[in-house]
Amino acid sequence: MSGFEAALVPIGQALLSGILVGGVYGLLSIGFSLAFGVMRIVNFAHGDLVMYGMYVGVVSASFGLDPLYAIPFSFLFMAVLGAAQYQLVYKRFVGFATLQQLLAAIGLGLVLQMLAQVVFGADTRSAPSMFGGQYILIGPLFISAAQVVAFIVAVIATVAVEALLLGTHWGRTVRAVADDIEAAELVGLSSQFINIGAFALACGLAGIAGTIMVTYYPTDPSKGLSLMPIAIIATTIGGLGSIRGSFLGGIFCGMVQQLTAMLWNSALQDVPLYVLLLFFIAYRPTGMFGFRTE
Amino acid sequence: MGPLLPIAVVAALPALPFVNNYILAATVRALIFIALGQAWNVVAGIGGQLSLGHGVFLGLGCYVTGILFNELGVPPWIGVWAGALVALAVALVMGSMTLRMRGVFFALATVAVSLAFDQLARHYVDLTGGDNGLALKFLGNSLWALQSRSPAPFVYAGLGFVIVYYWITRRILASRFGLEMRAVRDDEVAASAAGVRAFRTKLLGFLVSAAMTALAGGLYIQFYQAIDPESAFGLGQAIQLQLPALIGGLGTAWGPIVGGALMIVLSEATNWGATRLGVIGVDVLIYGLVLLIVVLWAPQGIVGVLSNGRRR
Repeated sequence: MSGFEAALVPIGQALLSGILVGGVYGLLSIGFSLAFGVMRIVNFAHGDLVMYGMYVGVVSASFGLDPLYAIPFSFLFMAVLGAAQYQLVYKRFVGFATLQQLLAAIGLGLVLQMLAQVVFGADTRSAPSMFGGQYILIGPLFISAAQVVAFIVAVIATVAVEALLLGTHWGRTVRAVADDIEAAELVGLSSQFINIGAFALACGLAGIAGTIMVTYYPTDPSKGLSLMPIAIIATTIGGLGSIRGSFLGGIFCGMVQQLTAMLWNSALQDVPLYVLLLFFIAYRPTGMFGFRTE
Repeated sequence: MGPLLPIAVVAALPALPFVNNYILAATVRALIFIALGQAWNVVAGIGGQLSLGHGVFLGLGCYVTGILFNELGVPPWIGVWAGALVALAVALVMGSMTLRMRGVFFALATVAVSLAFDQLARHYVDLTGGDNGLALKFLGNSLWALQSRSPAPFVYAGLGFVIVYYWITRRILASRFGLEMRAVRDDEVAASAAGVRAFRTKLLGFLVSAAMTALAGGLYIQFYQAIDPESAFGLGQAIQLQLPALIGGLGTAWGPIVGGALMIVLSEATNWGATRLGVIGVDVLIYGLVLLIVVLWAPQGIVGVLSNGRRR
């Protein structure tokens, strides 16, 4: 192997693990993006739902059930929790992302985080799946099997959501309400009913993201808040409200993170992302795929 | 409330040395909390821009003051101005990049900036002490270094901050600048149509608020004698900074004072109860619940509810 190739191996390794990690970032961002795109709700507690999804994996592992089998349950559980949150808190804020709405979401996030701390304690917990600790070798590169599985689940979930929104009648009604809530009401759609469904879907996706994430990434009650910056950055770079944009934004974030960790310093792996976020907000607030500028 | 409260407070001052240190320290914590709330109230309450990044300015005030003192022996009453200047520079960059956009983007960007500073403070251990934070060199009672073994002097300093910040808030509310900020907050398009330069107004409000926060950071580090990345740049801190104004009443001069006093009583009480029960984090749970309740059912805060009652 020549010196040049030897220098490429770590970069290839960083890009590959970046893409795998990024797929899951993408999945946790599309729920966040969906709530904003349809209802103009900035769900600051989205990360906390991901954290609860992670604990669903932990609990199922403690009963001897592989966390991967708990994914459907996690989706349902978070969807119900999301619908309840919508009814109790977010219903009154639909249509405009106000200061009050952001604050309500922050308050809700704090409550969710502290409840998790009371129930599960502040310790770090993990829940490896049947693929835990296994590695796949591709030439000089190696990747964790758990991350590959997580990436595949993330891609399937994202494609399913896109298909649901673009290809089904329900998806069309959701997009109609997102485009113009009054016109949708005029043609006989119940915006409240559709919004509950869309918000439940967004929260259910957070549940899936959490449960696949905990198979390779340990959790604690503060994990939710610490995942929010990634969701925010991936969504802004990809375009607030765009599903595929947020997914690609997540992959992009993963790659930037891993490259920074390799070339500069792993303790500072998020700093370039924060700088990128500022530049996107200043010069391209619609992101790469966003559809609105307001 | 009127003028009676300040008179009562001033009349009580000579009794200070005889009060026990626990109550004095709690009073100082309340005053610092109030002063930081008053600073945040300028940009968020009067200006309507939700900054979740005021921990950055608090942190810069603390770290710059502390580092200049520890490394170069610069006394804090000079160092804190350097801290305020650095905070102003950071606020200028942040504000000019994000305040042209709708409020959501500004709020999200302030989160990102806080977390960037958090990672930087944890990484540059030689300068900041890393995760463990920065501890001031303690010289005992010293006027030069503004240090004291007893919390009593900090009560006077804290009161000074709160009174000056109250006065600044009143001045802003009564000025044309304050009127423009409120106009932009209530309807940016209409305000621009009426000739208000919205971006400049928002940026100016942000700068004033950032400088006030950094200066109060000087008081913070002199009292606590230490600062760490979590209490400077963590989101928990950023959320705490908002509570006094939110609970008391956004955009009012009395709001942060009433809200801050109430919050500190609540937090001391819950911490007292929580240590006895052996549960951690109950105070944060209470903060979250209070935040939700206020936003959902009393968005004008205590002062707003009271003054509405009086008007009716």
